[in-house]
Amino acid sequence: MKQIFLPIVTPLAAALLVLCAPKKSNRMKEALALAGAAVNLFVAASLFNKNVNFSAPWLGFGIDLSLRADLLAGFILIAAAGFGFLVTLYSLAFMSDKASAKQFYFYLLVTLCLVNGAVLAENLFLMLFFWEGLLLTLFGMIAIGGKDSYKTAIKAFTIVGVSDLCMMIGIALTAHLAGTLAMSKISLSFTPMAGLAFTLLMIGALAKAGAMPFHSWIPDASLASPLPFMAFLPAALEKLLGIYFLARISLDMFRLSPGAWPSAMLMIIGSATILLAVMMALIQKDYKKLLSYHAISQVGYMVLGIGTALPAGIIGGLFHMINHAMYKSCLFLTAGSVEKEAGSTDLEKLGGIGLKMPVTFACFLIAAMSISGVPPFNGFFSKELLYGAALERGLVFYAAAALGSFFTALSFLKLGHAVYLGRIREENKNVKEAPWGMLFPMIALAAGCVIFGLWNKFPIHNIIQPIVAGEFSESMNAKIILATVIILCAALIHHLVSVKLRKRAINAVDNIHHAPMLSVIYDKAEKRHFDPYDIGLKAVSVFVWSAFLLDRMNDFIYNRLAPGCLGLAGRFISRSHSGNFATYIGWSILGMLIIVIFLMRGL
Amino acid sequence: MNNGVLAFSIIFIPLIGALLLPLAGRISRGLRNALALVFVASSFVLSLKLIPFVMSGHTLAINKPLLMGLNFTLNVDSLAVFMAATSSLIGAIIILYSFGYISHYENQNEYYLMVVLFLGSMMGIIFSANLIFLYMFWEMTAIASWRLIGFFRKDSDWMRADKAFLVTMFGAVMMLVGFIYIYSKTGSFDIPVIRGILSARPLPDMAVLLILFGIFTKSATLPFHTWLPDAGIAPSPVTALLHAAVLVKIGVYVFARLFVVSFEMSQAWYTAVPLIAGLSAVISAGAALVEVDIKRIVAYSTISQIGFIFFGLSTSHKIGVTGGLLYILMHGMAKAGLFLSAGIIEQNAKTKDITRMGGLIKTMPLTALSFLFCAFSVMAIPPFGGFFSKYLVFMGAIEDGSFVLTFLFLLGAILTILYLLRMFKFIFLGDLKIEAREGSRIMVASVVLLAALSLAAGIFVNYPNRLVQMVVR
Repeated sequence: MKQIFLPIVTPLAAALLVLCAPKKSNRMKEALALAGAAVNLFVAASLFNKNVNFSAPWLGFGIDLSLRADLLAGFILIAAAGFGFLVTLYSLAFMSDKASAKQFYFYLLVTLCLVNGAVLAENLFLMLFFWEGLLLTLFGMIAIGGKDSYKTAIKAFTIVGVSDLCMMIGIALTAHLAGTLAMSKISLSFTPMAGLAFTLLMIGALAKAGAMPFHSWIPDASLASPLPFMAFLPAALEKLLGIYFLARISLDMFRLSPGAWPSAMLMIIGSATILLAVMMALIQKDYKKLLSYHAISQVGYMVLGIGTALPAGIIGGLFHMINHAMYKSCLFLTAGSVEKEAGSTDLEKLGGIGLKMPVTFACFLIAAMSISGVPPFNGFFSKELLYGAALERGLVFYAAAALGSFFTALSFLKLGHAVYLGRIREENKNVKEAPWGMLFPMIALAAGCVIFGLWNKFPIHNIIQPIVAGEFSESMNAKIILATVIILCAALIHHLVSVKLRKRAINAVDNIHHAPMLSVIYDKAEKRHFDPYDIGLKAVSVFVWSAFLLDRMNDFIYNRLAPGCLGLAGRFISRSHSGNFATYIGWSILGMLIIVIFLMRGL
Repeated sequence: MNNGVLAFSIIFIPLIGALLLPLAGRISRGLRNALALVFVASSFVLSLKLIPFVMSGHTLAINKPLLMGLNFTLNVDSLAVFMAATSSLIGAIIILYSFGYISHYENQNEYYLMVVLFLGSMMGIIFSANLIFLYMFWEMTAIASWRLIGFFRKDSDWMRADKAFLVTMFGAVMMLVGFIYIYSKTGSFDIPVIRGILSARPLPDMAVLLILFGIFTKSATLPFHTWLPDAGIAPSPVTALLHAAVLVKIGVYVFARLFVVSFEMSQAWYTAVPLIAGLSAVISAGAALVEVDIKRIVAYSTISQIGFIFFGLSTSHKIGVTGGLLYILMHGMAKAGLFLSAGIIEQNAKTKDITRMGGLIKTMPLTALSFLFCAFSVMAIPPFGGFFSKYLVFMGAIEDGSFVLTFLFLLGAILTILYLLRMFKFIFLGDLKIEAREGSRIMVASVVLLAALSLAAGIFVNYPNRLVQMVVR
C-alpha cells in the first residue's frame, strides 16, 4: 500500500479492532489502543520531511482523492501522533475504572485517523470530508463524560457544525473563484468575493481552534467531558488543525499581506480573544475550567501572529501553536492527576499538595512558566516573536498581547499557589503521587517545553521557517524583552502583595474581580449573558417563531379559509334553490338580460 | 431478458401483483406479506439489472400506439433507472418494516394492496414518456395515498386524508391543464416528440407555471406544503413511504424529467424555483424547531430538504443537478430511517410528543443509534451520504453565481442541524421518562439497514455518483 495512506488507515484499523475487542478484557482493548497510537506515531515519523504525492480520480468536478505530505503537514502529523500516543498512555491509568473507556479509545483513534487525513488532504473537498468528520468524535467524546454531558456535547456539535457548514460554502466559493480544488494550485488575491471566501474558511479554522466567538463550549466541556479529551482535542489537536488550516489559507491559498483587510480582521479577533478569555480565566475557581479559558486565550496569540502577515508573526504563531499544545496538554494532564488523586479540581477544596505530588508539581511549574512566557521556556520565545510582529503592526495589538501575558501570569500564580502550596487541607492528607503511566506523558511534555525553549533555534529553523516565505530578523528587540520581564515581575509582586492582604491564594485576584465596573461585567459573564451560543440561539428562536407563525397562517388558508369560502358559496347556491317558482323566473330573466347585454355589446 | 420487457415488468409486476394481494391474504398472511415484498423487491432487482445497460450510455424508447393519439411510451434512461432503483429499494425496506408494524392492526389486506399499488404507480411515473400516462399514474398514487393516510379511519384521519388528496388533486389538475396547453402548441403528449418540435426553444411560461403547481403540491413545497405534516396521522411506514420513497419524490422526479433532462424553461424560472424552494426550506425548518410532535418535525424536515433538492436541480450547472439527484437517494434513505425509527418510538412509548420522552437511548440503543446515523446524513456530516449531496448542491449553486440563495440555504442547513439535534436530545437523552421497549426484531433490523445504507452510500458514493453523472452528461 502507498505509504501516504498509512497515517489514515492505521488508526482506523486500530479503532475498529478496539471496537471489536471482547467486552470483558480491559487489557486487550488498552493494549490495542496503545499499539495503534504507537504504530501511528511510527508511521507519522516515517513520513516526516518527505514530499509524497498521491492522486486518484473520485467524484469528478475537480473532486479527487489527492493527498500530499510536505514539511508543514509532516510536522503537524508527527505532533498529532505524539499527543495521541501520550494521551493514550495517560488514559490507560486515568480511564481504567471508567465504563466508557472502550468508546473513548475508539473515538481517540478515529480522531487521529481524521486529523491525519485532514492534514494530508490536498484536495479541499477531501479535507472537508475528514475535517467535518471530526464532529462525530467530538460529540462522542464529550457525551461519554457523564450523565449531563450530552448538553455540552450538543452545544459543541452545534457550534462546530455550523462553522463547518460555513466552511463548506467557503470551499465551494474558493473552488469557484480559483477554478480548482487543489490547495497547492490556489492563489487568490483579495477581491471582495475572495474576501468572503477567506472569511468563511477562516470561520471554520477559528471554530476548530476554539477562538472567540466560537469558544463557549470549551469551558463547559472542561467540566463535562473525560479529562484526557481536554488534553487531547481542545488543548492540542484542534489547535494544531485549526491553526494549520489558518496558516494554509493565509500563506498558500490567499495572498495575505499586511495591507489586506483580512489581516486587520484576524488581528482584532486575536487580540479580543486573548484579552477577553484571559480575563475570564483569571477569576475561575476550578482547575480545569481555568485551564480551558487559557486554551481559548492562547489561540488569540496564534491568530494574532498569523494575522500580522509578517514573517516573524507567522513563525511566532506557528511556533506558539506547537508550544501551546505541549504546555497546555501538560497542564490538563496535571489537572487530571490532581483530580484522580485528590478527588476534586475545585480550588476551594485543594491546597498544599505540592509536596505530596512532587513530580506533578514540577511538571505544572514548568508548563505554567512556559505559558506565562518566562525565559528560557518555549512560550517565552514564541511570544517574543509575536510581540515584535504585533508591535510593528500597531502598538494597540502589542499592548493587548502584553496585557494578556500579565493576566496569564497572575492566574497561574494564583492557580499554582492555591493547589500546590499553602497549608494542606485535612481531606488532602492522604494524597499520593499519580501512577507512572500518568506521570510519563507529563514529564515528556514538560521536557518538550524545556527543549523547545533552550534549543528554540532548532524547530524554528528546520521546521517552521522553511514553511514561511520571507526573511525575518533573528535578533530580539531588547526593549520588548525588558517589558516582558517587567510585566512578569509586576505580576509576581501583585500576587505576593495580594496574598499577604487577603490571606488566601485563591483570593489573590479579588481586587480585579471586584473592581468597580469590572465586577458588574464579571457578574453578567458568570451568569452567561455573553455566551455567543445562547445569544445565537435566541436570535434563531425569534426567526423560528416567526417562521412557525407564517406556516400556521398558510395552513389557515387550507384548514379554514378555503373550506369556509366553499361552504359559504355552497350555502348560497343551495339557498337559491328554494323551490319558489317566482324566484326561478326572476333568475331566468336576470340571466337572459345578461346574455342580451353581452350580445349587444358587440354591435 | 430483453430490456424493454424488463422495464415493463418493473412497472407491472407490482401494479398487477398488488391486486392479487387481497386474494393471497385470504389464503395466508405469510404468503401475502412475502408476495408484497417479492413484488417490490423484484422492481428493485430488475432496475439493478438495467444499470449496466444505461451505464454504457444507451437509452431505450418503447412506443405502443393506442387510440386517439394516446401512446403508451416508456423511456429507459439513467435518470429513470436511478429513480426506480432508489424508490423500490426504500419501498422494499419499508414493506419489510411493515411486517412488524402493521401486524396488529385491522385491514391489512387493504394496506398491502395500497402500498404495492402505490409503488407500482410510482414506477409507472418514472418510466412514462407520455404526459397523459404520467398524469394517470400520478393520480393513482394520489388515490393510494388518500386511502393510506386515512388508514386508521378516525374522523380526524379522514379530514387529513381529504386535505392531502384535495391539495394534490388541485395541483394535478392544474398540471393536466398545462399538459393540454403543451398539446395545443405542439400537438403531442409524447415527451420526445414535443422535444423535437420545440427544438431547444423554452416551454411556454404558462405551461411551466401550471406544471409547477402540480409539482409543488405533490412535493409539498411552500405554500402548498401543509398537507404533509398533517398526513403524519398515517401509520409510520406509510409516512415513510410518502416522505422518503414515493410521494414527495414524484414531484422532484417529474421536475427533473421535464425541466432538467427534457425541456428548457425560460431564464426567470431558474431564479423563481430556487427562491420558492429556499423560502420553503427555511420556513419549514423554522416550524420544525417549534413543533413537538415527532412525526410533524420529521415532516417539516422533509419539506425543508425537498427545497435543497429543487435548489440543486434548478441550477443550470451539472454539478448542482448531480447533487440534487444524489440528494434524492441520500435523503430518501435517511428520511425513511428517521420515520421508521419514529414509528418504533411512537408505537412503544405510546406518545408522539417529544417533550414527554427522554433517555430512550438506554432502552432502545439500536434505534437510537440508527436514528442518529440517519440524522447525521440529513445534517450532511461525513462520512454519511448526505454530506456529498449537500456539498454538490451548494457547489453547483455557487458555480451558477447564485450567492444570495446559497446563504439562504446555508441558513436552512444550519437550522437542520438544530432541529435534528433538538429532536435527538428530547427523545433519547436525559432522564428516562417513559420505559419504552425496543421495537420488534424485524422493525429494528429495517431501521438499522437504512442507517447502514446511509453510511455505505457515503463511503461508496462513487457508485450512485457514476450513475447520476450519466444523467447530466
